[in-house]
Amino acid sequence: MTMDLKQGPVPFNPYTANPKVSRTSYYIYEAPVRLWHWINVVAILVLCITGYFIGAPLPSVGGEATFTFVMGYIRMAHFIAGYVLAVGFLFRIYWGFVGNKHSREIFYIPFWRPNWWREVVFEARWYAFLAPYPKKYYGHNPLAQLAMFLMFTCMTTLMIVTGFAMYAEGAGPGHWSHTAFGWVIGLAGNTQNLHTIHHYGMWAIILFVIIHIYAAVREDIMSRQSMISTMVSGERMFKDDAP
Amino acid sequence: MAREETFYDVIRRQGISRRSFLKFCSLTAASMGLGPAFADKIANAMEVKPRIPVLWLHGLECTCCSESFIRSAHPLVKDVVLSMLSLDYDDTIMAAAGHQAEAILDEIREKYRGKYIAAIEGNPPLNNDGMYCIVGGRPFVEQLKEVCNDAAAVIAWGSCASWGCVQAAKPNPTNAVPIDKVISGKPIIKVPGCPPIAEVMTGVVSYILTFDRMPELDRQGRPAMYYGQRIHDKCYRRPHFDAGQFVEAWDDENARRGYCLYKVGCKGPTTYNACSTVRWNDGVSFPIASGHGCIGCSEDGFWDKGPFYQRLSGIPQIGIESTADQIGGTLATAAGVAVAAHAGASAVKRLRMKSAETAAERERV
Amino acid sequence: MATLNTPNGFALDNGGKRVVVDPVTRIEGHLRVEVNVDGGNVIRNAVSTGTMWRGLEVILKGRDPRDAWAFTERICGVCTGTHALTSVRAVENALGIKIPENANTIRNLMQLCLQVHDHLVHFYHLHALDWVDVVSALSADPKATSELAQSISSWPMSSPGYFRDLKARLTAFVESGQLGPFKNGYWGHKAYKLPPEANLMAVAHYLEALDFQKEIVKVHTVFGGKNPHPNWLVGGVPSPINIDGVGAVGAINMTSLNMVAGIIQRSIDFIDQVYIPDLVAIASFYKDWTFGGGLSSTSVLSYGDIPDNANDYSMKNLMLPRGVITEGRLDRIEDPDLTDPSHIQEFVTHSWYRYPDERKGLHPWDGVTEPNYVLGPNAKGTRTHIEALDESAKYSWVKAPRWKGHACEVGPLARYIVGYARNIPEFKEPTEKLLKTLDLPVQALFSTLGRTAARGLEASWAAHKMKYFYDKLIARLKAGDRSTANTEKWEPSTWPASTKGVGFTEAPRGALGHWVKIDGGKIANYQAIVPTTWNGSPRDAEGRIGAFEASLLNTPMADPEQPLEILRTLHSFDPCLACATH
Ligand code: HEM
Ligand code: HEM
Ligand code: NFV
Ligand code: SF4
Ligand code: SF4
Ligand code: F3S
Ligand SMILES: [Mg+2]
Repeated sequence: MTMDLKQGPVPFNPYTANPKVSRTSYYIYEAPVRLWHWINVVAILVLCITGYFIGAPLPSVGGEATFTFVMGYIRMAHFIAGYVLAVGFLFRIYWGFVGNKHSREIFYIPFWRPNWWREVVFEARWYAFLAPYPKKYYGHNPLAQLAMFLMFTCMTTLMIVTGFAMYAEGAGPGHWSHTAFGWVIGLAGNTQNLHTIHHYGMWAIILFVIIHIYAAVREDIMSRQSMISTMVSGERMFKDDAP
Repeated sequence: MAREETFYDVIRRQGISRRSFLKFCSLTAASMGLGPAFADKIANAMEVKPRIPVLWLHGLECTCCSESFIRSAHPLVKDVVLSMLSLDYDDTIMAAAGHQAEAILDEIREKYRGKYIAAIEGNPPLNNDGMYCIVGGRPFVEQLKEVCNDAAAVIAWGSCASWGCVQAAKPNPTNAVPIDKVISGKPIIKVPGCPPIAEVMTGVVSYILTFDRMPELDRQGRPAMYYGQRIHDKCYRRPHFDAGQFVEAWDDENARRGYCLYKVGCKGPTTYNACSTVRWNDGVSFPIASGHGCIGCSEDGFWDKGPFYQRLSGIPQIGIESTADQIGGTLATAAGVAVAAHAGASAVKRLRMKSAETAAERERV
Repeated sequence: MATLNTPNGFALDNGGKRVVVDPVTRIEGHLRVEVNVDGGNVIRNAVSTGTMWRGLEVILKGRDPRDAWAFTERICGVCTGTHALTSVRAVENALGIKIPENANTIRNLMQLCLQVHDHLVHFYHLHALDWVDVVSALSADPKATSELAQSISSWPMSSPGYFRDLKARLTAFVESGQLGPFKNGYWGHKAYKLPPEANLMAVAHYLEALDFQKEIVKVHTVFGGKNPHPNWLVGGVPSPINIDGVGAVGAINMTSLNMVAGIIQRSIDFIDQVYIPDLVAIASFYKDWTFGGGLSSTSVLSYGDIPDNANDYSMKNLMLPRGVITEGRLDRIEDPDLTDPSHIQEFVTHSWYRYPDERKGLHPWDGVTEPNYVLGPNAKGTRTHIEALDESAKYSWVKAPRWKGHACEVGPLARYIVGYARNIPEFKEPTEKLLKTLDLPVQALFSTLGRTAARGLEASWAAHKMKYFYDKLIARLKAGDRSTANTEKWEPSTWPASTKGVGFTEAPRGALGHWVKIDGGKIANYQAIVPTTWNGSPRDAEGRIGAFEASLLNTPMADPEQPLEILRTLHSFDPCLACATH
């Protein structure tokens, strides 16, 4: 069967649906997206852990400062992961141009489409147990798209901008980061603001990740489509062929 | 002007030998971090220039910028005032008062229009028609605008004139504003700090007099030579920071060993100033070297980025104890609990759906 | 015209000619003074107005009490540190924090250092030009100047050549036509009495003091990291001590202690060999200028300061004396109780603030700071272009503090009068010695010159006391005590839900108190009553005048257009308006 995305999915009712379970699969996430996703997961994990300890360092270590570099390594890991995150993100933007249409979904929200907002409301109702049955989506469901855009894409951009601006403070004029992001230092006024924003950004991303992982696992089980394996194989499996 | 004597004329007529004049020049060069080659340049500049009039105004402030200025060791403030410039107005030290003082402002503005330097300490309040700071019966902001409008350049002394400082801390009851909010069309050099370091203040002045130009300013209008780097970038405790060795509590063993003050709130990583290089009071120490973290006193709005003993700024609306970590941690925990609850509810729902499905199937069969 | 007898015993007459001095210069902050002079140019009414307000008490609300010292320190950069010290004491008092002995000693060293520095700078750079005619110095004979200098002191910088060089530099400076800070001064005014040689010597010391003052403050730099505005800490001092172990460079060590010792010795030398001899020399030419006593002979107040041992703020442990004298009763010294709501109250009847009931005063724990700028019906000019104020209405940004209803003078003179009245030898003996040297009766203390002299004596006292505390610190270090901070109650979780405290010091300009209320770990109310709030106080509900106003009364002016006499007397208080209004 086919499904017209423009029409939007139709609510599924197991009572009326064809009981014969058929499994259809669609290729949604291309390999580069999947690869990026998992690299990104690692980078963000490292960034959150090291970032947290930059903000609230571990108990002091002993020894001669010359031969000890605990904070230094934590920061170094942060910066390396920061570079990975940034380069990956740049690549992901590039892929948004050349990849399939799903590869663009996290970069915008079709706020101009009333229908899309209705879908957001529907998904919200589904998560709030108000809608009895889930729908099918090829790419992200609209609520997920909204969350992806606001809490991932925007936040990651913010983290990269503020992160590299702080990095530029240490690297100093002449370093590429200063050329590219030095203006942020001036804009922030007092760069303590950058740390505050960057730090809140981490928590925003952690919130996203908690919800995102939960939603992925839950949908895998509760909805009618594959989730986790999709991000591994790229194939979206539908567990039935109702619309 | 009766005579436009040069600095050199004056210094020679004061019975100072050419040799000690040159020595003075090389000290000045050294204090600005310039090589000996610059001493000649300074000497030459001083031989051909009259003393520039400076009008030093005071708004809402604590006068510690003036107090800092007089602590300068290189050059001595005595030499600055007697030989380098002509401090024609400064209510803190001038002999004249009242009408006699105010007359000086009019005279200099008239005689040296576009040629004098306006040095501003403190800032103007704008609420209450400016009458939270009254000079000569009028709002200070009027005097400020008049004097700056006819100046060649304006120096904003300290965090008050540069950013607003303590009186502009929330809720800023007088609506005190940095001077660049009310002055336009004049080059303004911001020399922030609460107060700025004495040798930075006299260094900026000697730079202007010596090279006859404005120092290079950064994006925020501060002389790049003194404000180009953070305290943290040149802090001598930095190896302890990198090592992960911190003062954990006041007067603990780590404090006595001189470990990094990051965990007790040091704002050195976000503060642009010359304290860790130039140091204070002729190089004796600076806040960190005497055991207290930097409170960020040269930074815009630093009063509201505290509490001072916390690494992260607090969010006043939520409470002084709340940092990003506390708020974020709470939200994350809440999310975790919500997720668990939601998962529970989902499991229930799924069971119900399953049994409904089985029931439907059974019916069909 | 209208004559008025104030409840504190002064007769005011606001007829005659109104003379306005605004800005009053060579002070800290913004001060305006208006006086009425009668036909003989004698001052018959005086109105002193603080012309700035920043709202620090408003800004402090809701903040972490451990940060308050930094905010209050910025009340003033001249008496830098004294507000910070008062603040940490107030917070410690509220939270029941005891500080280590070393911390107390270091705090005393810093506070005494401030006294020495502030008094010295005041005498030479803010006050001297009221007595010293710079232009007259140009006609001095260097050789005679040298003889004069050597006759009064063994200070080495006193050769004829030294004064010749200085005279040459000064002459060239004046001839350049660019007089800088000396421009439009009252040179040649009839009230200047010093011979040219004394003037030249004073100018020399003006410059030497300018060079030297920057050395004194290095004591603050050692312990507090910078000056102005050194750092402080609730619970102790931020600078740790490490005189033996690894890493000593980041703490108080032998090198920094040596520096402190050196500065103390040089300060003692400069004060005893330059400041005090100059003071005596100058005063000896002005013995007949007996004006400016004001409140000093009737009501003076001192909270006391410099606790010898830590955590004991009772009278017997305070090295600067504590007491209130009212109605001129030197035989009846009372004890000011800063916690008693009936002792200290602030009024705003004539101040630009609003109280629920403006006839009543408020104790600072319940103090209110709400601005209310209004001019009286008889003010001349407009709201933003004041020509003359109406003192029958609100007229100043300074509040009016009162002790049991009395307006009091505070400051070095008040402290010396209390010390004298209490028969404390440290204060009584030098005072009597000075009076004897100048051949003056005790009554001469109650004057402009008395105020200036007390400050000089106190600077010397403070410098010697620094030595005492330095030795004390060394003795404790020798005994093995390294402790500088008590962090038991550092965390807000250890604090009571609601508490209040008061801290006090004797600031250079007088009695200083901070009152704090803490609720839920935050400042609920913060009120400061500052020395210049006392001295520069406007009238209260009953019309009592403050120390500035009282001191100006009955002073004859040689020329009302040239307010030298007014400056003289006001400067003798060392006014600080940023302090007064905060
Ligand atoms: C998901 C992305 C990221 C997270 C969660 C994250 C988290 C954090 C956190 C929590 C801090 C401590 C902030 C503070 O308390 O002062 C921090 C600091 C910092 N981060 Fe990130 N960060 C991220 C991305 C980046 C990126 C892309 C860069 C770019 C290189 C970067 C550079 C920095 C720098 C320079 C600091 C300051 C280090 C210091 O002050 O020593 N961060 N980060
Ligand atoms: C740091 C942690 C993670 C971040 C920042 C993150 C971010 C993202 C982003 C941005 C996407 C959208 C991909 C795109 O359209 O280009 C995505 C999709 C997805 N992620 Fe993650 N992810 C994280 C961890 C995980 C984990 C641990 C899982 C597995 C349990 C997971 C499963 C998925 C799945 C199944 C999708 C597809 C969702 C859909 O089709 O709507 N993610 N993730
Ligand atoms: N009045 C006053 Fe102060 C002093 N001394 C402080 O308490 O000067 Ni600024
Ligand atoms: S910047 Fe700070 S030090 Fe300078 S006058 Fe303002 S409050 Fe005082
Ligand atoms: S003490 Fe402050 S400035 Fe110095 S290294 Fe530590 S955090 Fe940086
Ligand atoms: S508090 Fe200020 S004095 Fe320097 S070290 Fe920090 S900028
Ligand atoms: Mg007050």
